Amino acid sequence: MKVALLVCVCVAILSQDAAAYLQFTTSAGGQTRVLKWQRTPVRWFAADRGAAGVPASDFQGAMARAFATWEAVPTASIAFQFAGFTGAQPFDDDGVSVLGFQDHPEMDRVLGATGFLIDTLTGEIVESDIFFNTAFLWSTAAQGDPNRFDLESVALHEIGHFSGLGHSAIGETEMRPDGTRRVLGSGAVMFPIAMGRGITQDRELQPDDVAGISDLYPAGEFRESTGVARGRITRNGTGLLGAHVVAFNPATGSLIASFTLNTDGEFELAGLRPGPHIIRVEPIDDAGVDSFFNRPSAIDVGFLVTFYDRLYVAPRGGAGERVTVAVRPR
Amino acid sequence: MIRLVAIAIALIPALPAAAQTRDAVPAGRLEVDAGGGWLGGASLGSDDANLRAATATPAPFRLFSVDTRLQSAPTFHVKAGFSFNPRFGVEGGLTYGHPELRASVSNDAESAPPIAVAERIDQYSFDASVIIMIRELAIGQRTRPFVSGGAGYLRELHEGQTVVEQGRVFHLGGGVKHWLMARDRRFISGAGIRMDARLYLMSGGIAFDDGPRPHGAVSGSVFVSF
Repeated sequence: MKVALLVCVCVAILSQDAAAYLQFTTSAGGQTRVLKWQRTPVRWFAADRGAAGVPASDFQGAMARAFATWEAVPTASIAFQFAGFTGAQPFDDDGVSVLGFQDHPEMDRVLGATGFLIDTLTGEIVESDIFFNTAFLWSTAAQGDPNRFDLESVALHEIGHFSGLGHSAIGETEMRPDGTRRVLGSGAVMFPIAMGRGITQDRELQPDDVAGISDLYPAGEFRESTGVARGRITRNGTGLLGAHVVAFNPATGSLIASFTLNTDGEFELAGLRPGPHIIRVEPIDDAGVDSFFNRPSAIDVGFLVTFYDRLYVAPRGGAGERVTVAVRPR
Repeated sequence: MIRLVAIAIALIPALPAAAQTRDAVPAGRLEVDAGGGWLGGASLGSDDANLRAATATPAPFRLFSVDTRLQSAPTFHVKAGFSFNPRFGVEGGLTYGHPELRASVSNDAESAPPIAVAERIDQYSFDASVIIMIRELAIGQRTRPFVSGGAGYLRELHEGQTVVEQGRVFHLGGGVKHWLMARDRRFISGAGIRMDARLYLMSGGIAFDDGPRPHGAVSGSVFVSF
């Protein structure tokens, strides 16, 4: 088994980092593989070192709740198992998945990070570790603590990465004078910028998160009971790479999104509930482009928000009509 | 001969009364009806595409707003009914329409201009009705107003016909039937035209909120009774 450390580190952060999109992939032998666990339940260990205000037992409890939230998605099949406390540290590359606190004062915008050990031939995740940065204060209080970040919320985000999900771009932010971004609203736990101290709303998954994990680990009749939207986004007749495509279902209020992932401007949105959707295309302008793509310079963000000029009807299983949207330059 | 005359004489006093109450329109007959009309539009509800706000309060952040509406459209129908007597009848039928489902998008958080997006749907309603002829308001021998009410099943198919939405339909209305021809003891006992005005209440089907939605409708048709 050829094993390599995948350097990309995905985080729930105050600013930006990481390199991913909806699903992580690796290329080998001309083939692209999606990174995922192939054997479940996935065993994880909790580091036996706590942090200020969060003893190791409370840390383990918050992690267990976050794992359980992902595990409870009825249309996804992934499962996790707590294997015990360990003296090992995250990112030890020891074949054991460890979650724990680490002190990284130099990462002053990074709340936490996830790393992987993968089989580059198959895309199988062999090990995944998560650290939470003790440069910040953490809370496991049920109602949150206005001066501390909610550990369970950030853990839910990191465990999304741990499972193989990249960042979602469903969110709106505004720039602060210091160059950091403040979240105005988020449509996914996997949005790359954390909500802020004392906020516990991201303990619950959103439809985009559910679609992402279900697409990666489909259970039951997920594929047969949900629809896919496929299409192409162009600018001046040329395919657009990195356009953010969002589908809104007026019946459920759900937002599910993806990106155009090649230079032809093609995208695919999975996990849509059958029925009509409004499709909105926007540039990645609410988080750093490098939160989503390895080569940010290749991503076109110089266009205006544009809606598909028809209602898109997601079928029950498979894809409906092909969607084509021509965006207008900014 | 004497007996026959006596019977004839005995019947005479009854004839004028029978003539007064006897309908020129046939009863106890099967009737089929086909025609077209217009189904009025209705709001299907409004919704916001909301993001979870980054505050401790649950007030969401609106990404954009959507108003949905089923546009008015022509309809076509076929019905079959049976009149038990000159006053009461029942009927059942199928109505088909092909209205446009329109969503108006506005208030975009990034100032995208408002836009209306749409699809065409196929709408079928299968319903059963009770018809009450209002003989007291008859206009001449051959024109009768009526009231009707009933319920049925609503089946709507999105564009591409890959997704089916189901619901219920209730209606109340009235109209007028005019017999162009009425004759007894023939295979075709009558024929005429009919005008209906109805208020439909539809629930389920393609809808973005839970409440029943009212649609006005008018239709005209020709009918033949056997």
